[in-house]
Amino acid sequence: MTTSSLFDVLMERVSAGERLGADDLAQLAATPDILQLGMLADTVRRRLHDSQVTYLRVALCPFDKPFTDAVPLAAREVRVTGTPDTLEVAITAVEAARAVAGERAVSAFSWLDVERLAAAESSRPAKVLEQLRGAGLDALAEVPLDRVADASSVVQTIEGAGYRHVRLTIEKAPAAARTSLFVAAAALQERFPVIQSISALPTLLDALRPTTGYDDVKSVAMARLAAPNIPTMQVDWLRYGPKLAQVALTFGADDIDNVAASDDAPDGRRRAPLEDVRRNIEAAGLEPAERDGRFQLIS
Amino acid sequence: MIQSTAKKVLEGGRVDRAEALELYRHAPTHLLGQLADAIRARKHPERIVSYIIDRNVNYTNVCVARCNFCAFYRPVGSSEGYVLGFEEIFKKIDETIAVGGNQLLLQGGHNPDLPIAWYEDLFRGVKARYPAFKLHALSPPEVLHISRLHQIPVPAVIERLVAAGLDSIPGGGAEILVDRVRTLLNCYGKATSDEWLGVMRDAHRAGLRTTATMMYGTVETDEERIEHMMRLRELQDESGGFTAFITWSYQPEHTERGGIEATGVDYLRTLALARIVLDNFDNLQASWVTQGGKVGQLSLAFGANDMGSVMIEENVVRAAGASYCMDELEIVVNIEDAGFIPKRRNMHYEILGDPIFRERDVPRMLSLATARAGGDSSVPEELRNYPARSREGKRIRLSQ
Repeated sequence: MTTSSLFDVLMERVSAGERLGADDLAQLAATPDILQLGMLADTVRRRLHDSQVTYLRVALCPFDKPFTDAVPLAAREVRVTGTPDTLEVAITAVEAARAVAGERAVSAFSWLDVERLAAAESSRPAKVLEQLRGAGLDALAEVPLDRVADASSVVQTIEGAGYRHVRLTIEKAPAAARTSLFVAAAALQERFPVIQSISALPTLLDALRPTTGYDDVKSVAMARLAAPNIPTMQVDWLRYGPKLAQVALTFGADDIDNVAASDDAPDGRRRAPLEDVRRNIEAAGLEPAERDGRFQLIS
Repeated sequence: MIQSTAKKVLEGGRVDRAEALELYRHAPTHLLGQLADAIRARKHPERIVSYIIDRNVNYTNVCVARCNFCAFYRPVGSSEGYVLGFEEIFKKIDETIAVGGNQLLLQGGHNPDLPIAWYEDLFRGVKARYPAFKLHALSPPEVLHISRLHQIPVPAVIERLVAAGLDSIPGGGAEILVDRVRTLLNCYGKATSDEWLGVMRDAHRAGLRTTATMMYGTVETDEERIEHMMRLRELQDESGGFTAFITWSYQPEHTERGGIEATGVDYLRTLALARIVLDNFDNLQASWVTQGGKVGQLSLAFGANDMGSVMIEENVVRAAGASYCMDELEIVVNIEDAGFIPKRRNMHYEILGDPIFRERDVPRMLSLATARAGGDSSVPEELRNYPARSREGKRIRLSQ
């Protein structure tokens, strides 16, 4: 089958809502034709979300700094960052975040932090998760698929501890290794609907060997095609910047995470974070819609 | 209409203004990319993506044009104004040659205190020291500025500069070739649309090859963006002298005009449209220096067949907020990662060879150099040999 006829067949299938199989995905992962790949992923994205793109304004709060002035009113989620050494410090940070967040969602840490804190306490991750939940945590900020040995067990543990949303991430897996992770994520979501979102691009950036634009948009597209059952396909505004984040919206992403919550606009209103993210979404021919940290649209 | 226009493009047809506008406004982004990519593949079936190792040197930032989109210039008399000395420029050439470079892209402000003899002596000096080194220098408004300064016709200016060593002319200063836009950008005075095109026509008649550019995203309408492309296409039909087209988005930081930068998707759509409209241009550059490496690389799927320059130094868009850097290694990695074959070229787009860093050790370059170290306000010794036109320039000469 020629490349173009392969794409034509796949386009018919994804347009009809059909999931692509492992062989199809392997062929797509090998293609240099990112435009065709983007068209396929965009078709899936539009079928799931039409022209809507959600965004989330986040207040990032290092665990070891005061939170009081770090959480603007406009923030829809308070995200505690950093890696506390002890569970006590982690719980204190979550409690402080909860206190300033009010009704807003609080996220923090990575699954790897939970494992580390549990080991330090000679405890179980489930117990640590319960304690953090008791302190006011709504969700783990990151569950890195490429860093967990048994993702199924991890998600089950998180769900069992009472968390209602799981956000899957990729920490540093190279582009070639990501497709299989996305396939695994899709299978996982079928068992655990608590998996709400996936972020296809690495959270750990290597300044000396940065990912390329092709790598990035291809990963987003492959994630969208491999896991159409995961409702939200995220791209990180702060990490990847407006240009790449915007282009990713045409390659399957439907949610912009980590938009700065500050309303300060020292360079003018049109360059304020809110205006900038909305302008970029609209300039991509899509419609912006703000959501909160619990994936609910804000009217 | 989009489907019929797409079919026409794929069959090698030429789009008119209305068709171009329809594509730009309404064609899906991926379709625009596919059309542009089809043309790129037709013109460059060997899948080579070229780049040049040269240095972007700005010999002076003193400028009387006062374009309101420019963050680089300083008015006559500014304490931050500078003119590079010949020895400084020679040193930059040495550094360029050391990393495999073969050319300077030499542009600067419209400095009333630099007469044509200064340029001639500089060019002769470069050619005397570096006979094979190329000078891609003086955009049309600079040529026009010299012409006005000395009341010499443009063809005569070009003739003298070529005699001194000018090899080709860069396409800077085009902005948008519509006088309504140029008036609003306060660059009508430095060169009207007809004057910019006129200098290029004269250069092509003199046997020089030149590039063409477009800076979009200020005050122009979609129609005016397309008008710009159409005017370039017409001149290219007439002269065939343009080697390449380069477009970039207005960089607003620290400019008098201010405002916001056009988005990454807009860049890719504009680039793709340029590839479709400019069917008589062989080469389109990716502007990684304004868009960053990632969108710069994605440009290769949207019609670009050239990654531009390693640059080594950049001052103009940096002043306006863009500070991206790619050395040869990173450019090559990006080209290969996108499935293309990287080749070094010269300004005429003749292939010079494979990446230089694969032939010998070349130091990594993680940031672009600047014209001068901060705070260096030294006045070159040789300036005293050239009469100044401005009062401030005369004062400086007298104090030397």
